[in-house]
Amino acid sequence: MATVTHVPPGSASHRGTARRVFAMIAGLAVLVLAVAASVVFGSSTTSVGDVADVLSGTADAEITTIVESRYPRTALGVLAGLCLAVAGTLMQGVTRNHLAEPGLLGINAGASASIVTATAFWGATGSTAAMWWALPGALVAGVAVQIIGSSGSGRSQVRLVLAGAVLSAVLMAYIQAVTLTKPQVFDSYRYWVVGALGGRDFDVLLSMLPFAGAGLLLALLLGHSLNALALGDATAASLGANPWAVRTGGLFAATLLSAAATAAVGPIAFVGLAVPHIVRAVVGADFRWQIVFSAVAGPSLMLAADVVGRVVMRPQELMVGIVTAFVGAPALLIAVRRMRGNA
Amino acid sequence: MTSTQAGGRTGQSGPKGFLVVRRAVAVPVRRVSVFTALALLALIVAGSVATLSLGRLGIPLAELGEALTGGAEGKNAFVLERLRGPRLVVAMGTGCALGLSGALFQSATRNPLGSPDVIGLGAGAGAGAAFAALMLPGTVSVPLGALIGGVLAMALVYVSTGTGFRNPARLVVAGIGVAAICAAVTQYVVYAMKRDSAAELTAYVNGSLDSRSWEDATTIGLVLLAVVPFTALVARRLSVGEMGDDISQGLGADPRSTKTYAVVLAIVLSAGAVSVAGPIAFIALTAPQIAKRITRASGPHLLLASLTGALLMVAADLCAQQLPLFEDLPVGIYTMAIGGAYLGYLLTRERRKGAL
Repeated sequence: MATVTHVPPGSASHRGTARRVFAMIAGLAVLVLAVAASVVFGSSTTSVGDVADVLSGTADAEITTIVESRYPRTALGVLAGLCLAVAGTLMQGVTRNHLAEPGLLGINAGASASIVTATAFWGATGSTAAMWWALPGALVAGVAVQIIGSSGSGRSQVRLVLAGAVLSAVLMAYIQAVTLTKPQVFDSYRYWVVGALGGRDFDVLLSMLPFAGAGLLLALLLGHSLNALALGDATAASLGANPWAVRTGGLFAATLLSAAATAAVGPIAFVGLAVPHIVRAVVGADFRWQIVFSAVAGPSLMLAADVVGRVVMRPQELMVGIVTAFVGAPALLIAVRRMRGNA
Repeated sequence: MTSTQAGGRTGQSGPKGFLVVRRAVAVPVRRVSVFTALALLALIVAGSVATLSLGRLGIPLAELGEALTGGAEGKNAFVLERLRGPRLVVAMGTGCALGLSGALFQSATRNPLGSPDVIGLGAGAGAGAAFAALMLPGTVSVPLGALIGGVLAMALVYVSTGTGFRNPARLVVAGIGVAAICAAVTQYVVYAMKRDSAAELTAYVNGSLDSRSWEDATTIGLVLLAVVPFTALVARRLSVGEMGDDISQGLGADPRSTKTYAVVLAIVLSAGAVSVAGPIAFIALTAPQIAKRITRASGPHLLLASLTGALLMVAADLCAQQLPLFEDLPVGIYTMAIGGAYLGYLLTRERRKGAL
């Protein structure tokens, strides 16, 4: 149902390009600010001066430990935000459904259920094992949602979202049942189930990198074909893009990215929904720009949400997954108003 | 059944399908509905007996009759009066309220998915209840908090669709968004006030019947007592309303006010249920649908929906207490898993029929 006004590659006016370059610079500036905020603000109070001291190596040991403990979670926030935002952009492009998103469509829940099963019953441990277990779960959930949610005559946006909500609900019930009955196994997963950046180390980041890198590379390669696909299957085919291959590749890349993010930081919803909506408004319909810009805007949103979660109830922390729901769910309410008819 | 007997006794055959009392009153009754209601009641009784008598602490069947008639002593008295009695009554009461609430809402929105647990009413009431219980203890009572939360959530859904409750697609998507926001509020409140209690969190997010008291049973009982007469009044107008807005206008049942009454009653019922048991998922969705599928009749099925809701809750709580697979899980997790699977089944079925 989504109307995509397509700007043919190469015909973008200089003004449009200038606007995008400007937006890109602004986006990068916001990201730098978000990273700085993520290092400066935390459950214990530190100042910009403290951080400067730590960077120049002149701070005392306690401050150094506090500030350095924020490095891994900042890096993790950047990478997870990138993964979820790019996955959301890909899914919205492939399904031509502006409500598609790895969290809403149950893909994150599928990855989580798979990890929880492997941890509880087959003794899987470590972040690399979690990455590998997340992938089949995410794939199965994605296929299941497509089967339940696709309708006979054309695709309905709402059916897909509802199927995702149903699948998420059932899988979350299962996850809670397992984690509540085996609390000792899941002690380190308590916050992960809600979605949290804290308490993880650089190992998680390292095991996440190959998956995230492969997914992002595939996404960038597909940008041009996604533009063609937006014109309709027949036009796409005449432009030399194989619609089936583009869809499969796009969904696979999105699944890779969602699985990596979920294994690292838990099932976080709405980042993949809110970011593509912002990005479309800023850079227009060209998917090559959308993907690049999502990769900048996603981390900013994720880090901003995490910083808010760290300061809102000091000295306790609010998990980032809860904050993103506050920030991202309104994006869904705005998207509702743009739905036409019975979609 | 009753109709032919009653008609025969007065020497005059009453119209088929009507319950005739002394030629003065004729109430339309479908035989299958009566049988279904009796069967549901029998199943609820069976479930209740099982709830009270199964397990290590259960009251043996031989002593159950005596215990129920006031002769309970020692362990049996403790189990009946403190442990399982109130819990069973709360399960029945919340099941009734949720089934009724679902039937009212589904009838008002003319859409099986326009049900309190899909469009965020349960989550909203849950957030309100958690807020009242943990953030404002003593100042705002939990049922009032649940009511305010439910009303706010529905107002948010109503406003954000831009078309009220009419457009089913928008209703569902906005409801999912509002439910997510409300769940985040609940999580925030529990993490802020109760730190790390996982059991506490799941009780507020999924709903639980653990350690309920007679006070809770009284609360839900009073809510039902207050609301049921009004639902009886609105029931006929709702079944007229299912013929469409124009026809119901012509028959003198103003569709707008009927829907408003139904939605208000549904919110009160849901808030009552949530304030004693938490946001139990999918009972409000499934109970009216199951009732409808058994009887295959038109109309909102208010009585059957509430009986089915009570039966589902009693059965789910029996599972929660006795299933050896998972110990000590809150009942809300069972209803979420089973109800979610049922909703998935409904979705694939509707696809074949081409609706939604």
